[in-house]
Amino acid sequence: MRWKSRSRLQPYLLLAPYLLGVSVLVFAPMLLTVVLSFTDYDIFNPPQWIGLDNYAQFFQDTRFQLALLNSLWFVLGTVAFRGIGALSLALALNRTGRAITLARATIYLPSIIPEVAYALIWLLILNPAYGPLNLALRTLGLPTFPWLQTELTARISVVVMAGFELGEGFVVMLAALQMIPHEVLEAAALDGASRVQRLRTILLPLLVPSLLLLAFRDTALSFQDSFVPALITTETGPYYATYFLPHHILSQAIGLFRYGYGAAMTVVMYVVGALLIGLQYRVLRRGNAADEI
Amino acid sequence: MQGWKYLSFRLIVGVLTLLVLGCGANPTAAPANTSAPNASTSAPTISATSAPVATTSSPTTSPTTSAKKLSGEVTFYVSEDADALKGFQELVTAFGKVQPDVKLTLVNIPDGGDFLKRLAADFAAKTPPDIFEINYRRFGQFAIKGQLEPIDDLLAKSTVVKASDYYPAALDAFKFRGKQYCIPQNLSSLELYYNKKLFADAGVALPKMGWTWTDFLSAARALTKKGTDGKVAQYGAGIATQVIRLAPFIWAHGGDLVDNADRPTKLTLDSGPALEAFRWLVELQTKEHVVPSKEDEAAQSSQSRFQKGTLAMFFQSRVVTPELRNTIKDFEWDVAPIPSDKNTATILHSDGYCISSGAKNKDAAWAFTEFANGPEGEKIIVGSGRTVPSIKSIAESALFLNPTPAAPPANNKVYLDMAPNIRRVPIMTTWVDIENVVNNEIKRAFYGDATVEAAAQAAVKNTEAQFAQNNKDLGSQ
Repeated sequence: MRWKSRSRLQPYLLLAPYLLGVSVLVFAPMLLTVVLSFTDYDIFNPPQWIGLDNYAQFFQDTRFQLALLNSLWFVLGTVAFRGIGALSLALALNRTGRAITLARATIYLPSIIPEVAYALIWLLILNPAYGPLNLALRTLGLPTFPWLQTELTARISVVVMAGFELGEGFVVMLAALQMIPHEVLEAAALDGASRVQRLRTILLPLLVPSLLLLAFRDTALSFQDSFVPALITTETGPYYATYFLPHHILSQAIGLFRYGYGAAMTVVMYVVGALLIGLQYRVLRRGNAADEI
Repeated sequence: MQGWKYLSFRLIVGVLTLLVLGCGANPTAAPANTSAPNASTSAPTISATSAPVATTSSPTTSPTTSAKKLSGEVTFYVSEDADALKGFQELVTAFGKVQPDVKLTLVNIPDGGDFLKRLAADFAAKTPPDIFEINYRRFGQFAIKGQLEPIDDLLAKSTVVKASDYYPAALDAFKFRGKQYCIPQNLSSLELYYNKKLFADAGVALPKMGWTWTDFLSAARALTKKGTDGKVAQYGAGIATQVIRLAPFIWAHGGDLVDNADRPTKLTLDSGPALEAFRWLVELQTKEHVVPSKEDEAAQSSQSRFQKGTLAMFFQSRVVTPELRNTIKDFEWDVAPIPSDKNTATILHSDGYCISSGAKNKDAAWAFTEFANGPEGEKIIVGSGRTVPSIKSIAESALFLNPTPAAPPANNKVYLDMAPNIRRVPIMTTWVDIENVVNNEIKRAFYGDATVEAAAQAAVKNTEAQFAQNNKDLGSQ
């Protein structure tokens, strides 16, 4: 009896340090942010309760509206890019060989470069006159673009830039692929299923939990990850084309000491992030029963 | 800081080096007699001028604050690039000799955004730096929150500096509601850096005091050259698309940025001489093509072009001097006043030393502030080339005008000649954000993505909220 109750307690004891850390470092600040969002707070003086005034301001603040919209397409774009990219690369490289190992390392590389350096590298790659991308396009006789200088191409560029940081997702997909029992695939092949059929009816459904995990994580991260790359490569332009919510939060909260308003915008980020995650859950889980994995 | 905007291999290498060194904030209490590479320029300065302060070290007899033996810790935050930081380190070392028991910690946070984040975090934690260096365009929002120590009395009692030692243009910029809050370390202004060789090659007369917009434009045209491939190989001029660049042109043309400099209620960019000046500046790009196009600027910044010798005239303040000295080796360059129109006008660039009202050690903080911005300190910092001294006697001395060893620009007198023509942007609690909005509009018009009228109207409309907020802030105090 005693042993049993202890074994029931054990997992919680093991989790305790982590739970404590998450509570203090994540949930407490989150709750605090929600509370602050109903106040006027300049960090120097105590917060003043102002109810929903900060939220009401969203309707007049056109830069906020623009930034929210920009953040939305950025998140959707990068999550899709990274998800599809990580999956395709994992499928292609789920083999052995020296070249394969090298390729895997190469894919992981962009994810470990510090973000400022990473953004500066892209600034070089996308340089309209001397960048290797435009030089390559010119050599091939293809049209070149001022990538970071027009609205559409700047938007595409920041998504692609973030999209290549898919190393972690790639590793997760690779691990998930290798966990799928060979017998299932062999049996399907013996029954005459084509590669495409095997992918659609066996691999993808079995990979859904991992894909979901990746999509959740990427959604939460992408909201914030837009900050540094856009600041360095596009300077949030041209004309607000890559002006994201974190930029506006920074300019209002830290630039103008409007921390209450900044908190309200952060709450919007939480809520929109949660909604997006809920949406992904519904879309990806629809019509398949992969719960067992 | 500003370096982010100017892509160059040098910058990238610099950033990578910083990353490797893991250096973001480097507390630098340099040991005495530090052997920095440019110690040769500063050493004679220190020894030659150590008379007034360093010798008054008899703590019991002297009643002045400067001579009082102080102790304790003082933190001092700056946001400087590597070229300029050296001067501050020498300053700290020199102060250590005057007040050996004060432990002064210099913290440099090079990126402007990070600097503000760090300041905000430390103020929120009630552990603000005792002293921080900040631009006059930003100090108002700290002053209105009661976070800065008024220093009128300290300045009045000081035996090291007097208010009348300073250029009024610099000192007044740090006044808020009749009180003096910070001590300016410099009186910089927007001027024109030019490549002497390109002027000589094109046979164009060198710019001088009183030259006009027309003179400037014809020089810029003559100095813009196409290469064999039909593309522009050399540009006449380069200027950043910012309010602080546009403003002096508006003033020179007889207009103003805001309706009322003391109590502004709106921008006046959308009509009269302000709009005309805005159009004139924009047309340098859209019509005259004497400044780099959007793509050319992105491919290589104006500053980088100037440093490489493919851009003849570059508008910048004094801050760029150390970098130009270090990077330009194969041609002569100098500085000239920005061109005049109906008036001669330029814009103040000044940073001040501000003491936090929450500073733990105000006596020592003031002692360092008066030392750094007194004759002793300014003689040291002027050696770095970064500043135009805010103290008249130092600015007018050979230390600034004809430094040894000789270093460009030769015509340092320009900054002093232009001092009477210096104007400044209004002191507002929301000014920083107004600049954010208007810079975007200027850039849009400058590169032809919007008409001047549309951009000006958008600038006026999209800053209404900030003016309203400023008035609310001022009214509520």
